[in-house]
Amino acid sequence: MIQLKTMLNCIDNSGAAVVECVNVLKKKRPATVGDRIVVVVQKQRNFGPDSSNNVGIANKVRRGDIRHAVVVRAKKEMQRPDGSLVKFDDNACVLVNKSGDPIGTRMNGVVATELRGRQWSKILSLAPMHV
Amino acid sequence: MASSSPILRQLGCFRSLLKPQPQPQPLLQSPLNRRALSTVYSTRPTPKPLPENLPEQFIKQLPLHLRPKDPKVRRPIPPPPPSPCTKCKDPVAAVEEAQLAVLDPTGERRALFDYRRSPRSVKPGDIVRVTFKNGDPFNGVCLSIRLRGLDTSFLLRNHLTRVGVEMAIKVYSPNVESVEIVQRAQKRKRRARLFYMRDPKHDMGTVENIVTNYIRQKRALSGKKRAPVKGRK
Amino acid sequence: MTPRLPGKLVHLPLISTWGFQYIIRSQVPIRTFGIRSLNPPETSRFNVGHDLPVLKSTPTAALERKANTLPLRTGAIATKKGMTAIYDTETGKRVPCTVLQLDRVEVVSHKTRQKHGYYAVQLGSGWRKPANLTKSLLGHFTANGISPKRHVYEFRVKDESGLLPVGQMVNADWFQEGQYVDARSNSKGKGFAGVMKRHGFGGQDRSHGVSLTHRSLGSAGPSQGGGSRVYPGKKMAGNMGNEQNTVQNLKILKVDSENGIVVVNGSVSGPRGCVVRIQDAIKKPWPEDMSPSSS
Repeated sequence: MIQLKTMLNCIDNSGAAVVECVNVLKKKRPATVGDRIVVVVQKQRNFGPDSSNNVGIANKVRRGDIRHAVVVRAKKEMQRPDGSLVKFDDNACVLVNKSGDPIGTRMNGVVATELRGRQWSKILSLAPMHV
Repeated sequence: MASSSPILRQLGCFRSLLKPQPQPQPLLQSPLNRRALSTVYSTRPTPKPLPENLPEQFIKQLPLHLRPKDPKVRRPIPPPPPSPCTKCKDPVAAVEEAQLAVLDPTGERRALFDYRRSPRSVKPGDIVRVTFKNGDPFNGVCLSIRLRGLDTSFLLRNHLTRVGVEMAIKVYSPNVESVEIVQRAQKRKRRARLFYMRDPKHDMGTVENIVTNYIRQKRALSGKKRAPVKGRK
Repeated sequence: MTPRLPGKLVHLPLISTWGFQYIIRSQVPIRTFGIRSLNPPETSRFNVGHDLPVLKSTPTAALERKANTLPLRTGAIATKKGMTAIYDTETGKRVPCTVLQLDRVEVVSHKTRQKHGYYAVQLGSGWRKPANLTKSLLGHFTANGISPKRHVYEFRVKDESGLLPVGQMVNADWFQEGQYVDARSNSKGKGFAGVMKRHGFGGQDRSHGVSLTHRSLGSAGPSQGGGSRVYPGKKMAGNMGNEQNTVQNLKILKVDSENGIVVVNGSVSGPRGCVVRIQDAIKKPWPEDMSPSSS
């Protein structure tokens, strides 16, 4: 249930920490896992002291940037084909570019398996764990 | 009458005005004085018996009420055929039972989750490990068990990479390979639904360590050497 | 046109010449009297003939138009018993389904093109006390040798080949597993509902001067420019639900002819226990095995 003004965690190393949804693409309903959305970066991620000298290089995005993203976790439960439900404690997304490739190179955090059916296998393979 | 002079007719009109008005009551009491004599004094005609062996074409010429009446046809009312509804009162239960006979032939699953009757069943607060057909396991604390026949399900909660994940799994789903109880709750929970464990104050955190310990012990007990459990699923 | 003349003046001289003739037309001698035109008379003043196209407003044309959307065989009357799910053991998919039950469905009578203008099979299901029926209806059943039925419905079929013999039982095995049906039933009644619930209107503001009309419709239409009237069909508050609804293309998942159970995929309108009419789906190919059930 991600819609206008929803704040999501960004779980890749693109440099964004918290983003705000401004649009849901290709559907008239709230977004869920696997949906593409348009976000505004609200908070940048502060990397460790070793990378503080080259923040500009590490952070591929800045605060206020408008980017596309893919929802990878949602608080609203989703139904699997066998009737089971999966839900997470937070809403999270991964930034992608216009062609659909992830901007970041690493991801931290579990993602939902539903990404596979939606042509986001690349994100799924980057993720450390999927449910 | 009609050829009487118009003056007379006008006078006749006056005469009716001058007459005393008739009271309505005697009119009502004796409505017979309005009737034609023929209807008042004639009795109801009794139908005469028709002559024997009257030809067919003559009967048609008689008025309807004088024609001989058809004998009343009493058709037998057929008895209803046997109903399948009496044989199968609850078709939904029949369909569900047929499903359960396929999905859970031994009744083992049912006993594992019928927490009201079976003492060795999963109870809320237990740590449960579920393995799916495709090989993925899911571990978690059982928050609730929803007993609804074929749709019986249980809710597991765990933390993966510091994110809380909940999964409601259908007990009889063919995708579920096995369900193991890793650890019982220390004390009997006083609630059937432990939704309070979603609050940070009561949250149990991750149960992965308990489960990996359990798997290690189990392997040591069985004495089998298996490939080490992968960290990621 | 010859000028009209008093009858006697015209007839007297002419009868001798034209009267009492036998005109041989199509080998049947027709005796004619009076004046006859030399031109053969027209059979009808309307444009009729074998080769003429069928007029669009005739019953024949109406049946032709309907021919493609009328099922070849009759359906069945069922009762909605409830919903459950069926698991596909191979894929592990859970399919929600509705359980329907057929109760002594028998053919009561036929509707034919010759008599009624269309072909249909009248089916009855269940059983009703004969004392609770009108005499005319009881006679309708007993004349056909059928026990009194609780529910009677018609199922239209394309032609007379779809008319089952009267008295034949329609069992659950009339349908095959895997075929598609249309389920027709009355939806759940919602009572007198406002426009927001009934038609999904937006309602009005909570505040900004709106008083007492927060959930009502805004305007019923234009004023003087639109004729100063409310157009027919204006969406307003009223009774919602309890109207017939057809759910198309439901797959039949299971058939149990012994218990009269038919399990269809998905949901069917109406509460538990409502009467559902199921018939071959008109938007799918007709089922292959068209043989009537042996019962």
